[in-house]
Amino acid sequence: MNLALIGLNHKTAELDTRERASFHPEKLPEALRELVERPGIQETMIFSTCNRVELLSRVKNSAQGLESMEAFLREKSCIDGEQLREKLYRYSEQQAVRHVFRVASSLDSMILGEPQILGQVKSFYNVAVQAGTIGTYLNGLLQAAFHAAKRVRRETSIGEYSVSVSSAAVELARKIFGDLRGMSILIVGAGKMGKLAATHLRATGVRSVRVANRSPQAARELAAHFHGEAVPFEELTKWAARSEIVITSTGSYELLVDYARAQQIMQERKNTPIVFIDISVPRNVDPNVGTIDNVFYYDVDDLGAVVEANLQERRKEAALAEKIVEQEVDSFCARLHSLDMAPVVVELQTRIQEICQVELDRFFKKAGPRDPQERRELEVMISRIAGKIAHPLITQLRSTDHDPLQQAAYLDTLKRIFKLQKDSES
Amino acid sequence: MGWILQGALALYAVGLLLSLVGFYRKRQLFITIALALVGCGFIAHTVFLTLLGFQRRHFPITSLPDSLCFLAWSLTLTFIAAYFRYKINALGAFVLPLVSALMVLSGTVWEENHAIPPLLQSRWIYFHTSVAFLAYAAFFLTFVSGVLYLIQENELKSKNFRFLYFRLPSLQVCDELLRFSLFAGFILMSLTIVTGAFWAQQAWGRFWSWDPKETASLMTWGIYLVLIHYRLSARWRGRRAAYISIVGFVSAVLTFSISLFKGLHTYL
Repeated sequence: MNLALIGLNHKTAELDTRERASFHPEKLPEALRELVERPGIQETMIFSTCNRVELLSRVKNSAQGLESMEAFLREKSCIDGEQLREKLYRYSEQQAVRHVFRVASSLDSMILGEPQILGQVKSFYNVAVQAGTIGTYLNGLLQAAFHAAKRVRRETSIGEYSVSVSSAAVELARKIFGDLRGMSILIVGAGKMGKLAATHLRATGVRSVRVANRSPQAARELAAHFHGEAVPFEELTKWAARSEIVITSTGSYELLVDYARAQQIMQERKNTPIVFIDISVPRNVDPNVGTIDNVFYYDVDDLGAVVEANLQERRKEAALAEKIVEQEVDSFCARLHSLDMAPVVVELQTRIQEICQVELDRFFKKAGPRDPQERRELEVMISRIAGKIAHPLITQLRSTDHDPLQQAAYLDTLKRIFKLQKDSES
Repeated sequence: MGWILQGALALYAVGLLLSLVGFYRKRQLFITIALALVGCGFIAHTVFLTLLGFQRRHFPITSLPDSLCFLAWSLTLTFIAAYFRYKINALGAFVLPLVSALMVLSGTVWEENHAIPPLLQSRWIYFHTSVAFLAYAAFFLTFVSGVLYLIQENELKSKNFRFLYFRLPSLQVCDELLRFSLFAGFILMSLTIVTGAFWAQQAWGRFWSWDPKETASLMTWGIYLVLIHYRLSARWRGRRAAYISIVGFVSAVLTFSISLFKGLHTYL
């Protein structure tokens, strides 16, 4: 293997450094083409998001490759050499494979298990493919990384739990109402968090959004934003009773929904469940309403507790994901090592010899008995022809020694053309 | 023929195990495989009951082990139906233990050839007992969904987002299963009582004789009637309905087991 990776991420470098090290998307192809010309670099790709900047290359030898990449990054980022060295991590061979797999599977992300990372890796991979700096080797590695990431998605529930406060509101509503289609939301106030939570809810396909605000103008604007309906602030009780989810997010210091009002709302709703999500501080809904049957009440801290619990679940799933990644790393590396070509070479030679021998025998049979001298000479000639046919094929195969993936592809082609053993491991 | 039943039990047991693992690890794959196994077990179970019926030339539900075996069959049937309707992954972990336990219990007290009591040699047995057992199975589901509701509601109200919060279905789904199994159970129970009365008229010459089993089943029926009334009038939802479903189930268990002790139904 000849693989090297350097990089810095949210754990090793602060935003300021990451910003300076990052590559502008438009300049990326050019940077790739420049990097691939550096000493010791054979194939390369660059990964650059707000949380990480990484350079991954297939190299002639790892020390030289790492050196070249670091020099390249130092020049491009104008970060002082000493400072950069402290913040960089360097991986080679199996460690680099593992790192790439972990990044793609979102195990190295700032928000563990966030789903965007795989798409980002794919798009940076495509940029490198288009820039022509990726060959069979990195291609094979990246495909294996995508496979590992997909397995992690499929076999663990690492991405299942919401880890933002506003999506926690959606999750809670789901735990109560199941499917949210057909639900009505009432947004009270025009606070930013309330708007965010409502956006998440809206995305689940709720039936209607209503907005109540002290300022009718603000209510209309917000309602227009959600394709909803503005309702009079004075009729809060009436509209709350007609909604399943009430989000309060005002700057008001008074209680908008107290215990008695909540009871009144429940009576009007015929006791069907309702959720109050109170994002305002100070709170707009009396926390005690949560003791009423079928009333569920959550404030900002409760949403935070959901997020914390979800993160905990993600961490548990991450342990499982690490195992999957480890399996995939092992199987990828094993695949590279297992490409022993000696048996194929022998078999190829025998096969060609065989073909020639069959033809020779046929000739002898047809042409009648020959004297032994002539017979020997013909045999030698045929054997030479067989050798000459096999020679360039084997030379070509040997020339791919440094590139296991290309070699694998080549071996495979040979096997198919000459109908050699089906399985390389047998 | 016994091996078919043992096969069914083995499939149920593995299905239970996988359901528990799937519940604990939250893996759909385990749940799906568990369901497939339970489905196969159910087919084997059905084949066994059919063969037994042909062999005896009678509905195979004339002794205690018979009825435990048939109860397990009814529970599995309602479980499979409920899963396909509501897709509650947690359900297997709560229903299958009882199914497996009933099968084991039935197997331990199994008697190969018992004499069929003359009273049971009637066509009524086919209808009366099968609807009765399906009613019990439906009420068990009502009970389970009520319990699931109460646990999940408690998690949501106490704001403890822990183990069960992540694993139990939403309140809405619990409530729907509760309602559906409640109505189904109630209709089946009503049919049981009516057919029982006609059978009693034939066998004992009276429609109703306040035998303990009759009394108990009337009580159970009454409890569920009250629950249905309040559900329809929308006053009792969620928690209260769940509590009543538990009370109703206790009464149903009593009804089922009372004939083991005394009364006209003692041949169970």
